[in-house]
Amino acid sequence: MQRRKFFTNLASDKPERQVPAPVQGVPHVGSPGPAVFTNALLRTQDNKAVRFYDDLIRGKQVLINMMYATCEGACPIVTANLVKVYDSLKDRMGKDLFMYSITVKPEEDDPAALKNFAQMHRALRPGWTFLTGDPYDLETIRYRLFAMNHIAIDTNIYSHTSFLMIINDATNRWLHVDPQASLHTVLWNISLADPPKTREQILEENRKLQERIDKERKMFGYRMTL
Amino acid sequence: MSKPKKNKHGESKSSKLTRRTMLKMGAAAGAVTILGPTILTSRKSTVYAQGTVAEPVLCAPTPVPQSPPHTPFVDDLPIPTPAIPQFLSPAPTEAANIGGGEAARDPHQRWAEFTPAVTYQLELKAGTHQFHRDYLPSYIWGFNGKYPGPTILNAYGVPSLVRFKNSLPTSTTSFGTNTSTIHLHNGHTASESDGFAGDFFAPPLFKDNHYANAYAGIDDFGGFPKGDPREAQFTMWYHDHMMHETANNNYLGLNGVYLLYNDKCPPWEFSSPGSIRLPAYYGVTDIPLFLGFKRFCATDTVNGRTEMFQVVGGAAPATDKFTVNGKIQPKLSVRRRKYRFRLINSGVVLNWNFSLHGPDGVQKTMTVIASDGNLLRTPADVSATSTPNTIEVHVASRMDVVIDFSQFTTGQSVYLVENTQTPQFVSTPTPPDPAPGIPIGKVVMRFDVIGDTIIPDTPPIPATLTDLPPIPAQQPGGPFEWGFRFIPGQADGNNFRVSHSSIPEDNASHVATFLPFDPGRVDHVVLRGSTEEWIIRNDTLAGNWLHPVHIHLEEGRILERTICTVPSATGCNPANRAPVAMPPWEDGTNARRDVYPVPGQHRLKVRLAFRDFHGRYLIHCHNMNHEDAFMMVRWDVVESMAELRKRREEINAERIARGLTPLYRKEHLG
Repeated sequence: MQRRKFFTNLASDKPERQVPAPVQGVPHVGSPGPAVFTNALLRTQDNKAVRFYDDLIRGKQVLINMMYATCEGACPIVTANLVKVYDSLKDRMGKDLFMYSITVKPEEDDPAALKNFAQMHRALRPGWTFLTGDPYDLETIRYRLFAMNHIAIDTNIYSHTSFLMIINDATNRWLHVDPQASLHTVLWNISLADPPKTREQILEENRKLQERIDKERKMFGYRMTL
Repeated sequence: MSKPKKNKHGESKSSKLTRRTMLKMGAAAGAVTILGPTILTSRKSTVYAQGTVAEPVLCAPTPVPQSPPHTPFVDDLPIPTPAIPQFLSPAPTEAANIGGGEAARDPHQRWAEFTPAVTYQLELKAGTHQFHRDYLPSYIWGFNGKYPGPTILNAYGVPSLVRFKNSLPTSTTSFGTNTSTIHLHNGHTASESDGFAGDFFAPPLFKDNHYANAYAGIDDFGGFPKGDPREAQFTMWYHDHMMHETANNNYLGLNGVYLLYNDKCPPWEFSSPGSIRLPAYYGVTDIPLFLGFKRFCATDTVNGRTEMFQVVGGAAPATDKFTVNGKIQPKLSVRRRKYRFRLINSGVVLNWNFSLHGPDGVQKTMTVIASDGNLLRTPADVSATSTPNTIEVHVASRMDVVIDFSQFTTGQSVYLVENTQTPQFVSTPTPPDPAPGIPIGKVVMRFDVIGDTIIPDTPPIPATLTDLPPIPAQQPGGPFEWGFRFIPGQADGNNFRVSHSSIPEDNASHVATFLPFDPGRVDHVVLRGSTEEWIIRNDTLAGNWLHPVHIHLEEGRILERTICTVPSATGCNPANRAPVAMPPWEDGTNARRDVYPVPGQHRLKVRLAFRDFHGRYLIHCHNMNHEDAFMMVRWDVVESMAELRKRREEINAERIARGLTPLYRKEHLG
């Protein structure tokens, strides 16, 4: 039920944006908005129509990866790791953190195929949306979000499947991590895009990090993790 | 939020300070200010506000803009200002001064042995920089808000410490990431000061990087300065090494020059004991040429900026302007004598390939005296008739050249030309060639010979510049091989990877170990004081796909460069390996390197010694877009044989658990 509510919300827009009538494609303060993200009309695994920027990105912290349902290389591993990421952050998922998996093969991946893939990977969860749409739109999104500015890489649809983009539109923070890295590293990178911390929080985190370093040095004689 | 309970960490006094005292104490007391709980709750925004530079309004990502036109050779080449030493408050400490606002780290190694004699503070912050007279200022991130950052001039035997204070904006519309870690490339630096990619810190923290300014080999050589003087390095640069975001932060300008002097290369030219008397007056006859590639948005007179083109979230963009010391096509007035130019490729992704041309368009002679900051044993002339006849400077690489302008007459102009990249866009229509056969877009900068020399010229360059230390021995059990590969079209998306194997030319053990960079994962462990042979290999078939591989901590000696004559993406049949001639600035018998350019199908044999410090280091591709795409690996130096064995067995166990062959054989385990 919760999930349904979530998607209904997305599709019909949040109440505060319904009155006055929603204006499309207004960038969040400090964000480049649809100029970078596009505001393409996409479809979710439940065949709901959504606007990419308005409904999925605007003012949110999001995790985005590219995949396709029949992928047998990195995608299953990546998806399995993203499930772990989801589990670790499930208190935030669908509330202030959202996960989007976008297909690179929209010709093959209709909403049903995506839903099937999601179910197979236990990824059909609130706050995690699989997306398909017009190939031109998805290509544009792929270029805008994942471009390496290298022709041989960027023209290859498979090249971006090992990236997890971490974007906080409210603060215009963009990071990326390889979802095949350790869970600790992925979570740590996601936290870098969290809403800005106060000075006290940064100092407190720094103090805790030093404690961990000292503890590791005591236990192992060297720094094992970060 | 902040209760006085924090005071047990050592700042009990701070809560008693009034705001007025705080203000009087000024910026140096920043660390105390941080901890004044009463101040923070009432004036958080004021205390937190950083800088006054307005954030950039970026131009649309598509279509990719052409940079605005510029007039060639109107700006004088700027010389990056030397950094000024200053006392630091709070004073630097061996263990991280957490209470004072320092970023968490391991305690400094060899702190008492190399107590810092000179200290600096460089503040990372937003600023503006004018790249050309015809442009409005651009938004940059720089050390002390400048691009390039201040040049640090240090001497061997005088340990230094640089406090990097992070005052980058807490939110930005640029594509930078405001956490940073700073690497001195390629200092012989202890791990905690080496700018390890995972050791980044956020504003408002600072981090003290301790530079011993001692030669490698401290453990084995006494004397003053400590270490093996044959290991001297002279031209270095410091730069942001933020994991996954290095390209963006460097493109924005977080880099600068760091030079070291000793009795062989002192900062003067007159005769002194041990000096080889190269041109040496910083900014006068010894000039860093800090090279960059940029692209700009259309000049926007509304907000008064000509912003650098950036795609938020994207990697560093394709570029169409060459910059030297932060200026596009500058000119430099020179006199008829020898000059030392330190060519430094600050990236972020492209390599340079230089030649020097006179006013008649004919190629003239430059003499390479050092590669990657290390003096060559025998200097090498680069001219129309030499092999090679151009100088390649790969990303992060440095080439020191001497140009003798007495070969020209007063009034002549000389051109530094880039030979392989797409020529830069100058203006429409393209101005005429400045010299016959030299298109204007290929010219990086112009030298104007304005007269005879006033400062006496230096004597001829010595035939032998330095002795080289012996080439390190190979380890028992055979070499380790690193595979740097980009495989276009690989369906699993694992594009930029470093693999590691102890079976040379093997394929299975390489492919299976392709893993992305993870600062918490160690792929190789070496013993402090040991020497090893590492093989760097690139199996890429398509295109050139050169990876400028960089190894932290130690300089290496290249024994051999080979190419696979029957290209293979899965490892070369050893019978098909053919040697490739190495230029004199690469050959291990004549040079020491820290950047190892490896084009597709090439394989380099490198010998290294691991000395003086333990901790976490990196080997990575220095094409910054590649290293951000995880083409980087952590390796560790450990202190004892027992620890080496234990940790190598851990790596073996981890590999076996993943169904792979173990990396270390019996001989490797000692």
